[in-house]
Amino acid sequence: MRRQSSPFKPRPRRSWRAPGELLNFTLYFLCVVLLVLSRIGNNAVIDLRDRLIDLSAPLLEATAVPAIMGRHALARVRSYVGMMEEIDRLRAENDQLKQWEWRAKLLERNEAHLRSLLNAVDEPALHYVTGSVIADARGPFLRSALINLGRDNGVRVGYAVIDGDGLIGRVVDAGSSVARVLLLSDLNSRIPVLVGPAGMRAIVSGDNAAELKLEFLPDGASLYAGDEVYTSGSEGVLPRGLRIGVVTGADGAFKVRPYAELSSLDVVSVLFFDTPTLTSTDPPAVSAERALSAMPEDKLTPDAVSAPSAAIDPVRNLLEHAGAGDLPAAEGVAQAQP
Amino acid sequence: MNASLPVLSVLFAVLATAVPWGLPPDATFILPLVVVMMVFCWRVLPGANLQPYVAMLLGLLTDVMSGGPLGFWALMALTGAIAGGLTPALGDGHDMKRLWLVWAAVAGIVASLSWLVASLYFLRWIDARPIAFGALASVALFPVVLHGLLWIKRGRLKPGRRIIYGRWT
Repeated sequence: MRRQSSPFKPRPRRSWRAPGELLNFTLYFLCVVLLVLSRIGNNAVIDLRDRLIDLSAPLLEATAVPAIMGRHALARVRSYVGMMEEIDRLRAENDQLKQWEWRAKLLERNEAHLRSLLNAVDEPALHYVTGSVIADARGPFLRSALINLGRDNGVRVGYAVIDGDGLIGRVVDAGSSVARVLLLSDLNSRIPVLVGPAGMRAIVSGDNAAELKLEFLPDGASLYAGDEVYTSGSEGVLPRGLRIGVVTGADGAFKVRPYAELSSLDVVSVLFFDTPTLTSTDPPAVSAERALSAMPEDKLTPDAVSAPSAAIDPVRNLLEHAGAGDLPAAEGVAQAQP
Repeated sequence: MNASLPVLSVLFAVLATAVPWGLPPDATFILPLVVVMMVFCWRVLPGANLQPYVAMLLGLLTDVMSGGPLGFWALMALTGAIAGGLTPALGDGHDMKRLWLVWAAVAGIVASLSWLVASLYFLRWIDARPIAFGALASVALFPVVLHGLLWIKRGRLKPGRRIIYGRWT
């Protein structure tokens, strides 16, 4: 009887004690050791990673350019397709915004009047630097982005990172020319927030999903879908009042839908917000004349300090005037929301 | 064929995993798994030389680029390389259907392993849906990737393509 031939070329069987097999075992062991070292946060591993990222930054930046251009082209095509609907929507939105503008001016005037009555101290202005995302993190449990700003630009671990829509995360690694941003949706992300007009305290945590979890709400907290969520600043790392998103879902399973589109980030800004917490964990590595906690004289112009109160607005202006792909680092001043 | 071609092609794929494509959150597992799949394919293709330690280094580079725990994608790439090494080499008169099935099994193993390792790493059960989606997508993409790699080394395999693809060509 004819034996059926194998469809594949047979390979010789080797003993597990063969040099190649032993090498494989060693490599597996090495991977496990690296995982354990990463888990415990070994400094040597972290330093090595930072150096490698710094080295690969120019290459990443170069490879990101075509992808970003492609995304822009796709977005443009989409906007052409639905242009008429978009114009109608923008007209309606513009009408609403005109009413909001009038109310905002009224509130601003009232607020200024009340602050003067109380002799309230102005919130400190925030400096920021703007750059672009050059790499995305890809993995089953990881949501981070690499930006083309580093310690040379004054970026330090812990700084908040925003885009035109709101907070996107904070810096967790900073090399000389690049920094890694832990996005809000990452499993390790925990942000103390205030929710709704009552300002209920809670923690927003990432779940690797598009929406964020809302945890540690006080008992009997009454929330409604659409309530705004913004940073509380209570952990002493992030400024207070950075907007994050809105509450979605039903009672008992509330989620937060972030304003920022975390899966397609492009131009982002790092807010220089120095606190004693940050200074103790990551002392500034920049020169004294570029010290971040002190406001440079040239930034102390009346126009700059009296910028609109929402921290996002100056960045939005930047977004409107800057090209996304080859955006150079731009510095500016924003005002923290009281 | 240039001996460095497998390494260079996988290196290119590693760089591509880091590019901000704007993919939805559930699709984030696909690109690194394509790297593992390329490692597997190069190991199966006769005449290609991609040693397991090189695959591990490329996986380590993926870890560095992604900012994830060092060793995670190195472990997966190593698994792909060893699985490719254990699989009989492609060639000599048969199509790639069986190889596709083998990859489906390997993708299942890699997905399960990655879910387990990630859950152990974070000491909580990780959402398995993106991983499962990535594994399924990688199985669907397998012919495309294999065809691409064959195209890369066409100079050598061109005479045998009809044999390799069998009824498909």
